[in-house]
Amino acid sequence: MGLLAAGIGAGIVAIGAGIGIGMIGKAATESIARQPEASGDIRGAMILTAAFIEGVALFGAIICIILALQG
Amino acid sequence: MIQTFRRLFLTILFLSVSTPNLLAADDAEEKSESPIDIMGTVADHDYFKFFGKKLYLPRIIYWADEEGNSRFDTFASTEKAIESGLFEDVDHALVATNGAIKVDFSITSHLIYFWFGLGAVALFTMFAGSRYKKGVGKEVEPKGALQNLFEVFFVFIRDEVARPNIDDKKADKYVPYLFTVFMAIAFMNTFGLLPWAATATADITVTAVLAFFTFVITQFSGTKDHWTHVFWFPGVPLGVKFLMIPVELIGLITKPFALAIRLFANMMSGKIMIIAILGLIFIFNDMYGSVAAYGVSVFSVSMTAILYILKLFVSLLQAYIFTLLSAVFIGMAAESHDHDEEHYHAEHAA
Repeated sequence: MGLLAAGIGAGIVAIGAGIGIGMIGKAATESIARQPEASGDIRGAMILTAAFIEGVALFGAIICIILALQG
Repeated sequence: MIQTFRRLFLTILFLSVSTPNLLAADDAEEKSESPIDIMGTVADHDYFKFFGKKLYLPRIIYWADEEGNSRFDTFASTEKAIESGLFEDVDHALVATNGAIKVDFSITSHLIYFWFGLGAVALFTMFAGSRYKKGVGKEVEPKGALQNLFEVFFVFIRDEVARPNIDDKKADKYVPYLFTVFMAIAFMNTFGLLPWAATATADITVTAVLAFFTFVITQFSGTKDHWTHVFWFPGVPLGVKFLMIPVELIGLITKPFALAIRLFANMMSGKIMIIAILGLIFIFNDMYGSVAAYGVSVFSVSMTAILYILKLFVSLLQAYIFTLLSAVFIGMAAESHDHDEEHYHAEHAA
């Protein structure tokens, strides 16, 4: 049961993080296309925001690993 | 939007059709002992592996015996500790026969690689420092690949990480810490890619210590504004001020916590991924025979090669993210700004 929960949880985490980072990537590439001279700043902001989302996703991933180890 | 959902639906359909196989594989794995031990490879060890040989590391244990006296014992290795009769092995963990272990100061493989990382930074910076003392790089151009590499990293940390995120006047004060932590994490991450090596940063204790440094520096560089925001949030009604105190206090803790978890989980998941994909070879060998294992090994080995390149990139990226976020947190605390409201009005009036 723990393994099942971990598997489903990991999948949902991946979906959430994928959507989030995908939206950041979309926004960043669009804004770079509009204003290519600001690409440096935009890239920095993109990495920073992606790191935050990744952090949240990894919280979920850690919980899943703990569940899988106990199950 | 509809297309997205259709794709999602198709993916779920595909997965639901292909799950029976996965479940079958799970059953087979449960019957036989799993051919690979993923967590055992990732975990900390009491030995240092060198060219496939295990060098056992000393155990230093602070413990209380049955009479409650605190004792401080050192042993050359785990085996010696068990031989002494004071400790015994329970599920691969050292437990005191009579009494309880208080603190385990033992040197482990992760600690060794932590020291390697810090030692590499120390050697690198001392080398560069001696060059700059001689005037190379100040009066004439920097010489050699190493010093140029040092300048590349140092200038990057100073100009791209510290100065944009921390107040201009204070930024240079934090460059040494940021540079050290960046190089240390980068070294530790890349050392983990070497054969027989352990990734020190794939251990929550190591990353927690690094995040703790950032936490302490952040709090000590906090200005009056920082503490006002924590204990007396400006610009909100009185009741909300009290409500904000616990929220802000939790916010202080979660930042370094997230730093530690992020680095740890990234390095650990990379390791697990590589071991799992390589482990497919052994699992297929157990389940379908050696021919299937040969077939899978073509896929596994090429995937691992690609993953290694990705891991090299990720290890530098994570070092950068850790440093960048440290700089952002320090910058937020060290910032002394005019009051938000006044600022807002001034900007709108203009």
